[in-house]
Amino acid sequence: MVSRFRPARRLGLIGLLFASAGCSDWLSYDPGSLRYIEAEAMTRDLGPKPNLHGKPKLQAKVRETMARLYGPDPQFIRVPKGAPLMLGGRYLASHLREGDGQNARDRRIYEGDSFQDPKLRPQSGGYTVYRRNCLHCHGVTGAGDGPTAAFFFPRPRDFRRGIFKFTSTPTGARPHRDDLRRTIVKGLDGTSMPAFEPILSPSEIEQVVDYVIFLSLRGETELALIEEASISEEGDNDALGEDIVQEIVSGVFTRWKSAQAQVVNPAVARTEPTRESILRGRDLFLASDCKDCHGRLAKGDGASFVETKISDEIIFGGDPSKMADRVAALPEKVQALWKQKLDEWGNPLRPANLNRGKETTYKGGRRPIDIYWRIAKGINGAQMPGHYPSPFDDRKMWDIVNFVLALPYEPELLTEAPVAPTAGAPAVADARPR
Amino acid sequence: MRHWSILFAMAAVGAVGAFVYAYFSPDWWLPNPPGDFHHSVSRFGREIDKLFFIILAITGAVFVGTQVVLVWAMHRFADETDSQGNPVRKADYFHGSQRLEVIWTIIPAGILVFIALYQMGTWAEIKYRSAAPKVPPLAEVTARQFQWVIRYPGPDAKLNTVDDLVVVDDLHFTRDRMALIYLRSSDVLHSFFLPQLRVKQDAVPGLTIPVWFDADRAGDYELVCAELCGWGHYKMRGKVYVHETEEQLRQWIDEKLAEQNRSRLTMTTAPNGR
Repeated sequence: MVSRFRPARRLGLIGLLFASAGCSDWLSYDPGSLRYIEAEAMTRDLGPKPNLHGKPKLQAKVRETMARLYGPDPQFIRVPKGAPLMLGGRYLASHLREGDGQNARDRRIYEGDSFQDPKLRPQSGGYTVYRRNCLHCHGVTGAGDGPTAAFFFPRPRDFRRGIFKFTSTPTGARPHRDDLRRTIVKGLDGTSMPAFEPILSPSEIEQVVDYVIFLSLRGETELALIEEASISEEGDNDALGEDIVQEIVSGVFTRWKSAQAQVVNPAVARTEPTRESILRGRDLFLASDCKDCHGRLAKGDGASFVETKISDEIIFGGDPSKMADRVAALPEKVQALWKQKLDEWGNPLRPANLNRGKETTYKGGRRPIDIYWRIAKGINGAQMPGHYPSPFDDRKMWDIVNFVLALPYEPELLTEAPVAPTAGAPAVADARPR
Repeated sequence: MRHWSILFAMAAVGAVGAFVYAYFSPDWWLPNPPGDFHHSVSRFGREIDKLFFIILAITGAVFVGTQVVLVWAMHRFADETDSQGNPVRKADYFHGSQRLEVIWTIIPAGILVFIALYQMGTWAEIKYRSAAPKVPPLAEVTARQFQWVIRYPGPDAKLNTVDDLVVVDDLHFTRDRMALIYLRSSDVLHSFFLPQLRVKQDAVPGLTIPVWFDADRAGDYELVCAELCGWGHYKMRGKVYVHETEEQLRQWIDEKLAEQNRSRLTMTTAPNGR
């Protein structure tokens, strides 16, 4: 019998059938193990900022200490004793290693172990949840440097310094666990941070909150170790001794732990948002420094920032990696102002537009208590300062909150405002950028 | 090689078998309540499913017919060789058949015209603005990268006032009542898709599009984005909850309003937050 078909083609067809039948798992891409990225200060010369440029022995010591404290890579996590994490960090991973050396044994963690869930679902662990949902923006190390990060404004948060913008704790303090949870659950309106409530289960959210705290603790410890080592001589064998390391780690932990008991609760109940209260708030807005940044009409175009048109051109006017070139092309005076108006992470800042009608967004939440926190204690890392107890006392705080919440629906509060009683005429006339 | 006809016959039987199996499997069937997976929960769902089955019946009959002819032809006219290895049959070549071509053009064209006319009523009922229910809007849904911002009227029952409830990714309405939403987009194209309710509508920047739907069963459903809208498209999901009664919906809105009006840490119960 003569066949017109060659055997190789027949085999090929059979292979195709298998592939189309769904046996494609073995084809999926495996990126291999992920690795933490070191802080810049480890190897680069940052001028006056503490760094270990040209000190390889101290660098090795910091690396070794970091691996001993937090694990060598994201796949193997260690948690120092006393860390402010749930159940000593058990939410972070999917397996728990028990015993050392030859006797080491990895045990699967079930959600029921820690959540009294009778169904005993295997726990994904904070690292897995983070890797799937957060890593592409916030990066492996939590440095806000994931592959999609460059395209966002505002940029994703760099967790490594422990500074978070939208918190309920005193100015400059670490965030409360609820603040991080709220940001993950509800997202940050007006930014690229989406709400994860419909995507993650409540226990996955707790796991990823812990992982964010873990990355913060790790990043803060790394920076503190580099700072400590930078004052030592390269040949100093006693640098970063056990006592010093313990002190640094417990300092980092204490800052987080103490913040958990410091949530700011307004001292007096909210004033009814009556006409009088809103008008008092309006007068406060016009008489104080609010309008310098937020603008006379609260459109986020105050005179102390670079004009909105120019900053739009710089931030959105082309390749994000070439933003520095666009800044360099500005007139010298504008450039100087631009450089003053960067946040703690070196990213451009813009005051919120509080007068966009129903489109007005409040990144940190629209509840009166959220607005209160933003105004009373400012925004960490940004240039919004705290205003409580001075210049606003308890009553004034609620007046201004009531005004901010009413303004988008009543823009005439500002457009038809008389000259502010205490500010004097020139302040109002000068407030529009020219 | 007569055996090839068997392989193609198996493929056809497998394809028909998949549809037969799907009818008995909640995982393979249309997105419906798991306990009663042949029941489509919304009025539009039942109409669309009916159209779907008509099209399935037509394409199914055509598929079975053409596969039978194909397999029979492969079996009947398989290449045969004699003992010297020469073909037994001589191939016939012909340029074409106008009659055949006219037949296989007119029949599908007729089917298409039938489908186009038959579905018009359903399309008009679901999409024509003149068919929008005369009810106060349930909410305004604004799609943005990458979430659904949903604004419900507050106690004054009017949208776009200071007392509105604004939530993210959480759509609630009442059973057996036509719900009307206004769909907007604040950045790029998105698509508002309720799979269990068979509702899909693009959200277009600059347009406010009314969308209406109902459900005859209370419970949890899904809201997803059905238009690739950027890197986070897959994150753009929402929860849909259908309440048993209007009071339950009102109660949910009041609870959410109380939280939205929260001004101190201790939980307050009054909807005005004090």
